Amino acid sequence: MASHGLTYDGCNFFRQRLVLSTLSGKHVKIKNIRSRDDEPGLRDFEASFIRLLDKVTNGSRIEINQTGTVLFYQPGLLYGGPVEHDCNPQRSVGYYLEALLMLAPFMKTPLKATLKGVTNDPTDPTVDLLKSTALPLMKKFGIDGEAFEIKVVKRGMAPGGGGEVVFTCPVRKTIKPVQLTEPGKIKRIRGVAYSVRVSPQMGNRIVESARSVLNQFLPDIYIYTDHMKGTNSGKSPGFGLTLVAETLNGCFLSAEMSSTPQGQGDPVLPEDLGRNCAKLLLEEVYRGGCVDSSNQSLALLLMTLGQQDVSKVLLGPLSPYTIEFLRHIRDFFQIMFKIEVQTPLDDERKGGDKVLMTCVGVGYSNINKTVK
Amino acid sequence: MDAKVKKQKKHQQKHSGPKAEKKKAKKQEGSIEEDERKRNPKAFSVQSAVRMAKTFHRAQDIKAKKHHIPVVDRTPLEPPPVVIVVVGPPKVGKSTLIRCLIKNFTRQKLGDICGPVTIVSGKKRRLTFMECNNDINTMIDLAKVADLVLMLIDASFGFEMETFEFLNICQVHGFPRIMGVLTHLDSFKNNKSLRKTKKTLKHRFWTEVYQGAKLFYLSGMVYGEYQTQEVKNLGRFISVMKFRPLVWQTSHPYLLVDRMEDLTDPEQVRTDPKCDRTVSLYGYLRGAHLKNKSQVHIPGVGDFQVGDVGFLSDPCPLPDAQKKRALNEKERLLYAPMGGVGGLVYDKDAVYIDLPASHVNQLQEEARPTTELVQSLIDAHSTLDTKMAASKVSLFTGSATLDPSHISQHTREKEILEEQSVWDPTTNRERRKVIFTQEEEDVSEEDDSEGSDQADDEGDVECEETATGGAPPQKKQKLEAERGRTGSCAELPVFADSEDELEMSEEEEEAGTSGDSGHSSEEEEDEESEDELTNDGEEELGKQHSERESEEDQEEGALRWKEGLQQKAAEAFLRQQEAAPNLRKLVYGSVVEVTESEEEEEELGGLFRVSRPQKSKKLQANALDCSRFHADTGHDWDVQEVLDSIRDCFVTGKWEEGQDAATLLKQDEEMYGDFEDLETGEVHVSQPQDTQDDDDDGDEEPQVKMDDEEVQKNKRLEKKRRLKERFNSEYDDGDATYFDDLKEELQKQAELNRATFGDMDDESRVQYEGFRPGMYIRMEIGSLPCEFVTNFDARYPIILGGLGSSEGNLGYLQMRLKKHRWYERILKTKDPLIFSLGWRRFQTIPLFHMEDHNGRHRLLKYTPQHMHCGASIWGPITPQGSGFLAVQSVTGTKASFRIAATGVILDLDKSVTIVKKLKLIGYPFKIFKNTCFVKGMFNTVLEVAKFEGASVRTVSGIRGQIKKALSSPAGAFRATFEDRLLMSDIVFLRSWYPVSVPQLYNPVTSLLLPAGQKDSWSGMRTLGQLKHDLGIRNKPNPDSLYKPVVRAPRRFNPLHIPKELQKALPFKSKPKQQQPKGKTPRDLQRPSVIREPHERKVAALLHALSTVHNYKRKNAHKVQHAKHKEFLQQKEKDEEAKLKRQREAKKKLYRVMGQKDQKKQRSSLKGASSDL
Repeated sequence: MASHGLTYDGCNFFRQRLVLSTLSGKHVKIKNIRSRDDEPGLRDFEASFIRLLDKVTNGSRIEINQTGTVLFYQPGLLYGGPVEHDCNPQRSVGYYLEALLMLAPFMKTPLKATLKGVTNDPTDPTVDLLKSTALPLMKKFGIDGEAFEIKVVKRGMAPGGGGEVVFTCPVRKTIKPVQLTEPGKIKRIRGVAYSVRVSPQMGNRIVESARSVLNQFLPDIYIYTDHMKGTNSGKSPGFGLTLVAETLNGCFLSAEMSSTPQGQGDPVLPEDLGRNCAKLLLEEVYRGGCVDSSNQSLALLLMTLGQQDVSKVLLGPLSPYTIEFLRHIRDFFQIMFKIEVQTPLDDERKGGDKVLMTCVGVGYSNINKTVK
Repeated sequence: MDAKVKKQKKHQQKHSGPKAEKKKAKKQEGSIEEDERKRNPKAFSVQSAVRMAKTFHRAQDIKAKKHHIPVVDRTPLEPPPVVIVVVGPPKVGKSTLIRCLIKNFTRQKLGDICGPVTIVSGKKRRLTFMECNNDINTMIDLAKVADLVLMLIDASFGFEMETFEFLNICQVHGFPRIMGVLTHLDSFKNNKSLRKTKKTLKHRFWTEVYQGAKLFYLSGMVYGEYQTQEVKNLGRFISVMKFRPLVWQTSHPYLLVDRMEDLTDPEQVRTDPKCDRTVSLYGYLRGAHLKNKSQVHIPGVGDFQVGDVGFLSDPCPLPDAQKKRALNEKERLLYAPMGGVGGLVYDKDAVYIDLPASHVNQLQEEARPTTELVQSLIDAHSTLDTKMAASKVSLFTGSATLDPSHISQHTREKEILEEQSVWDPTTNRERRKVIFTQEEEDVSEEDDSEGSDQADDEGDVECEETATGGAPPQKKQKLEAERGRTGSCAELPVFADSEDELEMSEEEEEAGTSGDSGHSSEEEEDEESEDELTNDGEEELGKQHSERESEEDQEEGALRWKEGLQQKAAEAFLRQQEAAPNLRKLVYGSVVEVTESEEEEEELGGLFRVSRPQKSKKLQANALDCSRFHADTGHDWDVQEVLDSIRDCFVTGKWEEGQDAATLLKQDEEMYGDFEDLETGEVHVSQPQDTQDDDDDGDEEPQVKMDDEEVQKNKRLEKKRRLKERFNSEYDDGDATYFDDLKEELQKQAELNRATFGDMDDESRVQYEGFRPGMYIRMEIGSLPCEFVTNFDARYPIILGGLGSSEGNLGYLQMRLKKHRWYERILKTKDPLIFSLGWRRFQTIPLFHMEDHNGRHRLLKYTPQHMHCGASIWGPITPQGSGFLAVQSVTGTKASFRIAATGVILDLDKSVTIVKKLKLIGYPFKIFKNTCFVKGMFNTVLEVAKFEGASVRTVSGIRGQIKKALSSPAGAFRATFEDRLLMSDIVFLRSWYPVSVPQLYNPVTSLLLPAGQKDSWSGMRTLGQLKHDLGIRNKPNPDSLYKPVVRAPRRFNPLHIPKELQKALPFKSKPKQQQPKGKTPRDLQRPSVIREPHERKVAALLHALSTVHNYKRKNAHKVQHAKHKEFLQQKEKDEEAKLKRQREAKKKLYRVMGQKDQKKQRSSLKGASSDL
């Protein structure tokens, strides 16, 4: 009776596997997690992620062997509701939030997750980035409502953390198919330059340097400076910049950069950071597509979970993470995407190759939601 | 008499005169609304805004009620045959009807209707007929797959229970189209009773289905068949019928199996007859798209993993040419392999092969593929292996033939030789060059690999192919069988190198599980075994090959977080991406990873191994899990050219031809350029753009005049189109409602769905969207129980119902349930019940409950009689909103209605919260004022501590609270109450105890039962049945038994009022001597007086005297009375006389007075006249 499960090796793409397992109801077994490592087994942040999954689901079965090198996960049903979680500061809240974004629309009750930990660090997509790109993307799939937001209550930089983020998401029964084939032209660039426990001038210096690069293309640039003080400023000093380019068709491309965490590596100058971040945004624009590179997998997942209709989305070059995600989608949902490369014409100055992803949804419906 | 009275005068219509003329005029004009409004404006004026709003709302409500929620039309271009299920009680004429309909459509006679029969009924429609017997299992299964139900009703008998049961099953599982057919109408001799019966049956049918549902009459039989004309009419109805998509059917793929083959190794069956069987099932795919390797449920058998799915050429295709009006004889196809058409006849325990001689020629032609298969089987004299060994294939004409012994070697060689690593200086990377890509060789290679396949896979299809090669249709089939390997050769000839093929095949082999980071371990094994197989020289090559691949893999997958690897890998990856010839291959196909074989590792002293931290795979497998796409390559954003490369991504850049602001402005001018300035009267005329353009073109290229004209023409067309669009948007959108918009949107989506993969060939299309409905599918399922094959009966439908994601899991289901109003008994909690839910039929134990006002689910012992209640079961996860029905047993047929309950799924969860009420009872053992010590409710101090602060109550209604545990009797506690308790009071605490739902899920495996007993499945028995069967009777609690009521007479104390109070009371309220005076006590009795004789004499005399006196007085009184009476009479008479006298005197007096008056008047009149 029980559906067959899947087996994987290694802890890479850990979140993908657990998230897809939860959505598809197939159990998953991950073996050889850092088995050759000096410190074998799951890391603290992964354990923290599993705990978060356990909080949002009901009836999950999680088995970890003594050394932590083998994980067995039998998903339960997504429950939702108010959830409070202390995220491990090894990874930022973005690490956890990315997975929650994928799960949140399919809960039984609307999710209200309070995540505490590191809000901004250089490794993972920061909360600001997800707020400004992932949410508008999800709105295109019919997930919206007034209670759909990410709120940064407190900002906490790596390594100390101490930030707090509230993520609320309504529940949907089905996901709409989308046709995002035309990104449109970029009409405005917005951004947030944040700084905590450093001089408030840092923000202005970042803005200045970022504008100097971007002003070559567009006059409509506005970068907010967000300086948080007191209890809202977390435990470690730091600063950073998130840039978002909005197109005429409502697509969002983003780039971000954070200062190196205190005591790890060379400190960066805010001017350099601003300039480099602006260049990252240009790189992102060069890659193009309707979805920015860190949200590709989210878009593909929502396409997969749509009705049995054709969805199309234009992406920039696929990131390794996305490629692996596509393979995982095939494993869990037996869905293959039609991948067509669109090479721009010679006279067009619109960046690099684009990839048109087409798929037919699995006809997924939220089986957790209660009917009254 | 009465009739005469009641008869009233009839209304006489006027035929002439003004009224008649008025009427005539009115009739001629017709009542025009305008006129009425004009004539009677008051009636149409707004009397009340509220009322008007109400009527408007009502009108809109009625309008909106007619709408169905629009759904995306997902029917494929070539839809699967319509499933027509013929139902009815036994001996009503089901088989006869199917036979007649088949004869009507195909001109063929079918003897025995066995299994589904598919026919081509028209240019665009195919039909599958299926007969439904009266087993409730069959009825349930077929109701789920039916598109149209022909419901046969014996008119001479009337409705039977089966009909109503089937209707109810249909209602629960989505309502297919239902058409009633009345048979046995010839048994009516009396025309009037026939008409009457028809009418009553029709109306009853209407109440069940819908008002005006079609009911067909088959009047009688002619030579054992229904009348041709009537059957023809029925056929016409069927072939034009439209179907509304049903939710369950459109969201799940399903097959009605029309062919079954056992693929198990005969040797294995011989050694172990009970071994699990591998079976291939065939049928048209219906409903939704079917994904490979998905899960299916076979109702009556269980859940299974699909081993392999493949599509075959349609055995019953629709005609190609659409020009003709009717089908010709060749196109009227019939396909019923289970029924013996198509070469095979299924019996209870054997499969018979029909030889061509026993059939009509034409029939043979139609069923060629299968028959050929059979033919080849018959013709095969030698075994496959010997044939294989003997067979020789030549790749080119005239070239040397290949021996099977070479094949394996050869193929291996090729796999390695075929590609060559070539360094590409332009892109700075290694490229895999294809040595040869020729179609013919591909084909031949297919043959080879197929040959090698055959050894392990003894599929009939393959064996047929080897036996008879060459014919075009077979070739086609062969290609399909080879689908896995040759997938890309048809689709993308450019990449059809053999490596691709290899990858594809490996992809096929990958069964469900996948290895580390998405690469299957099986692949690794393959690679390994491959390496072992090849001889030394090749091994070298193979290693190179695999190493290179591993490197490539590293390039693709590695994340750039460690600087050492990063730089090179990232660059390579990006370049590869940018120049990627086939991204699909990169993502899904070509990733083959080398196994980290133990042999490769260097050993130190036989115990220790050199650990290699740089092993790419391990690194990747345990790499950092991050979704960021780092961009530390390529572009230097300080260089102007690089900046220019994205210039057009911004609104400030160059726009496309159609969207550029300048051109748009120009177009606007063209369209709206002409205008007249009303103030000045000046007329502005737009510049004729064309001439200007022409001039420009003329300057540039005068020689391409022709092209130019075309361009102009296109421009004009474009302009026209845009104008029309604008017009449409202006005029059509006005009354477009939300509903219309929604419909249009869905229409667009449907078109897109059809268009997106429409131009691809089936091979590759199947990979993207799965197998689409309408395809003829072969599904291989391993590990089916042997009873499925041994007890196979074609009369019972085999349905493969696809399951959605997580529908194969089990959980708690919460549902709304109602006992069916025709079911006689109420249902008991925890009695096993058989549910039909989704595709499944299973037995489980429901708990019934009600939701309290505060959301608490309270356990019920029985279902309510006429009300919905909640039910919770442990069962398969099924989407909310799916309907279900429940029956007590599926065994046999009973006279009464079998469907016990119906309902709908509300919620799915992994836990349930049903509670039942629990009252804990205790007794006071010490009572102070309002405080009381209670014992007997708990056993320990700890238990009391748990309930501190809980509210308790006595039976008499005094409320209280538990305060604290007492030490001395264990479990006793102190409680306070709102009033003083009595020792006789009982204290209780009301609490809720969670109940667990028993985890019983027992699929009804009716298909596995031996033929003839398939309707005798019996699962778990209810408690009542068990007791009945075992003869156990419960001993009732003697306290619960009824005993004669004995009532002691009641005694009341007398009311005692204190003396003081008595005094104060008014007399009215004072207690009276209410009790009668009893015997006077002796002390109060007075002594009797005894007289003396003298006294006695005196007394006697006095007594006599008084008697005389009394007598005298009485007489005197009598006389006096008479006298007085007389006197009164006299007096009355006198009075009367006196009155008479007086009256007369008065009369006289009045007369005189009157005369006097008259006189006086007369004299005054005279006087007056004299005056005059």
